[in-house]
Amino acid sequence: MNEQPLIRMEGIRKAFGPVQALSDVDLTFQAHEVHGLVGGNGAGKTTLMNVLYGLYKPDAGTIYVRGQATTIRSPREALAHGIGMVHQHFLQIPAFTVAENIVLGTPLPARPLMDLSTVEKRIAQLAHHFGLEVDPRARIEDLSMGVRQRVEILKALYRQVQILILDEPTTHLTPQEVDSLFESLRKMVDAGMSVVFITHKLREVMAVCDTISVLRDGRLLLTRPRTELSEAMIVRHMVGTDVDIGRSVLFSGRQQGDEAPTPMPPVLEVQGLWVAGEEGTPVKNITLTVGAGEIMGIAGVAGNGQQELVEGILGLRPTRQQRLWLQGRDISAASTAQRLAAGIAYVPEDRQRDGFLPGASVAYNLILGLHRQTPYSTRRGFLNHRAVTESARQHIAQFHIRTRGPEDIAANLSGGNIQRVMLARALTRPVPLLIAHNPTSGLDIPSVEFIYSRLLERKRQGLATLLLSDDLDELLLLSDRIAVLYRGEIVGILIRSQFDRYQIGRLMSGVSDHD
Amino acid sequence: MTEGMRLRLAVIGRLGRGLLPYLLSFLVAFAVVGLVLALLGFDVWRAYRTILGTSFRTSNGFVQTLIKWIPIVLQALAFTVPLVAGKFNIGGEGQMIVGAIGAAAVGILLADLPLPILLPLLLLTGVLCGMLWVLGPAWLLYRFGVNEILTTVLLNFTAFELIDFVATKIWADPRAGHPTTVAIGAGGMLPLLVTRPPLHSGLLIALAIVIIVYVYTHHTAVGYELLATGANPRAARVFGLPVRRLFLFSLLFGGALAGLSGAIEVAGVHGRLIAGLQSNFLLLGIITGLIAKGNNAAVPFVAFFIAVLEVGASALQRTMAIPGEMTFIVEALILIFVLLNDVVRRYRS
Repeated sequence: MNEQPLIRMEGIRKAFGPVQALSDVDLTFQAHEVHGLVGGNGAGKTTLMNVLYGLYKPDAGTIYVRGQATTIRSPREALAHGIGMVHQHFLQIPAFTVAENIVLGTPLPARPLMDLSTVEKRIAQLAHHFGLEVDPRARIEDLSMGVRQRVEILKALYRQVQILILDEPTTHLTPQEVDSLFESLRKMVDAGMSVVFITHKLREVMAVCDTISVLRDGRLLLTRPRTELSEAMIVRHMVGTDVDIGRSVLFSGRQQGDEAPTPMPPVLEVQGLWVAGEEGTPVKNITLTVGAGEIMGIAGVAGNGQQELVEGILGLRPTRQQRLWLQGRDISAASTAQRLAAGIAYVPEDRQRDGFLPGASVAYNLILGLHRQTPYSTRRGFLNHRAVTESARQHIAQFHIRTRGPEDIAANLSGGNIQRVMLARALTRPVPLLIAHNPTSGLDIPSVEFIYSRLLERKRQGLATLLLSDDLDELLLLSDRIAVLYRGEIVGILIRSQFDRYQIGRLMSGVSDHD
Repeated sequence: MTEGMRLRLAVIGRLGRGLLPYLLSFLVAFAVVGLVLALLGFDVWRAYRTILGTSFRTSNGFVQTLIKWIPIVLQALAFTVPLVAGKFNIGGEGQMIVGAIGAAAVGILLADLPLPILLPLLLLTGVLCGMLWVLGPAWLLYRFGVNEILTTVLLNFTAFELIDFVATKIWADPRAGHPTTVAIGAGGMLPLLVTRPPLHSGLLIALAIVIIVYVYTHHTAVGYELLATGANPRAARVFGLPVRRLFLFSLLFGGALAGLSGAIEVAGVHGRLIAGLQSNFLLLGIITGLIAKGNNAAVPFVAFFIAVLEVGASALQRTMAIPGEMTFIVEALILIFVLLNDVVRRYRS
């Protein structure tokens, strides 16, 4: 083919303060291809695409659209050049219908009348053509995350984009929905479009991409057709030399001998837990146990009661009819403080809201909830500053928290480093039960690797872990059992030997076994 | 360079960076006021010398400064202790008045008791009355989440009426031309540390309070919990801290300090209850607390500086006929520049 590439980015550079997010990236996107952009967190994938979409102004470099040097100053200009992007978090108006959301910001065909029938017809056509089935008249608030994502893609297609950027599009999807998304992407590139697929999941790039580019630390390390690449080559480029791939949990799976011991004495027993949900999903009649040396995974599409379940176990929300035992002790009537003291460590999902003290020092953040234990406090209630600072220093080194020191104000930490603080606080003591909700969100690959090995280490020590994650791969990798949460209920529990991605996917979307 | 030296240099460097904005704010505020005074035709250098020098030229000036420092530092802490937990006590003035009323009542009713009994009783009553006055707002906050700023500030006005009532209707001294009660018993007066010029021993109490508050907020587990609650109440609750009880407690602590400041004014300065004894100590206390950015270790020093300005202000009025309000302008400008510095820093990062 001798035609001009759709997009050519040359010498793109972007720094945020002292952090060089992108250094001299050259990248070309052709028509008729799904182009995978792979790398760990902080590799620069999203930043690079935000530059293309006009959200960030690059410090240096040029973007060529069909051979023409172009400055893209805003998403509006990007759309005008046929570039569309679907972010991880959707900007949709819940009270509006699908069609209303899609036309928002485009000229109305029947202006000044709000007659959307032609629009709806067009949307239905597009949806049918690309296999993105959705009812144009449905309200956004009634739709699942998977369907809402289709709406977001249709929004771009309706604007006739030629290049569609998808940022980690599989995060909220069940395996079945992932497959159907991939079929749609194939149809788009067959129609002459170019799709950029940002992901950190190898399986997905290998399944759908024609060309693969790997980024690490803001540099483009390679771009090749998938047929010339093996998984091992991609991994090697993704992680560099920091991770020993042969012994990596992330890439090689759990080792022999990591099976759960039998029998497992229960550490946490939950019986008939009902939790009220003001806005979220109420949790209904949950019964589950987590055994010593077990990692119990909770799978489910985000927003199916995970947060409510955790807050019910921690005593942060009103519950009813519940019986809870921790190591055989009845904690049904205990306060949050008593439950934590009885042996629960917690890594909250929303770290900014639920676990972080921005105005306090890093050292103070690292002892939240532990501050009354020795050696941080004396029995008379005085803080031992030397012990607090000393243990903070150890945690900072061990968990690679990037900070100026224990006394530095925590507000200076980046998102990934805040997450490291959350994990350091929860993982340094052999607490009988760990509740971790999306513990690896925002971490780069070596850190994910480190956290996984620590979670498996807990197993070996006979400690229990309740792992809630939106990432099914993470659960499949680490869990001994997986319970699937759907609309606040556990719709199935599978043991490791029965793990099946599609079976779990069916449960996640509410299809029960007996249907 | 040895490790110790390097560490010391680092500490000095950090301290310098911390103090620099204060120094700049101070200089700019004085420059602005100097400009105004010059335009009004006053001798600027003499005004500067009067504002800053009065406290240090004579022993009388120094004692006056210390006496002013006591209520200012206590009012400032009454504001900053709840502030650690993220709560605003704007009712220090009312709590001070009610503390003074309680102290005066004990001093008048039990006038014949000997000092070792009467004085502690009087001070303790002052503390309890201050706590009582903040109990309502604190409980409403604890039970219903009612905003404490509104409730504490409104109770100030109630206290103004209360002191008028007590000083004109109950124990009024008919010979005074101003709402004033009769004198408290001699056993209720704080003994003097120095007789000429007279300096009462409330200074020692205030110093002890300063140390206690510092140790409490910086070196105890409860102090840590107050700080965590102020930094992020939701996270504090998730990690098991009794957030609402800490709110309640921090406000009661503040009320106790404000009540004590009222009792000390009665037992150390006036020997009786006088309407208006609260002066503008609440305002000065809040300014002090804000300039110190809520840091209880910095509060006593800032309070001393404010006391110096206040003593300078009255001298300015006496000797140069420059309105004492001019120092209020200085204080306000310093506060604005200190806060502005934070804005600039946030903007740059």
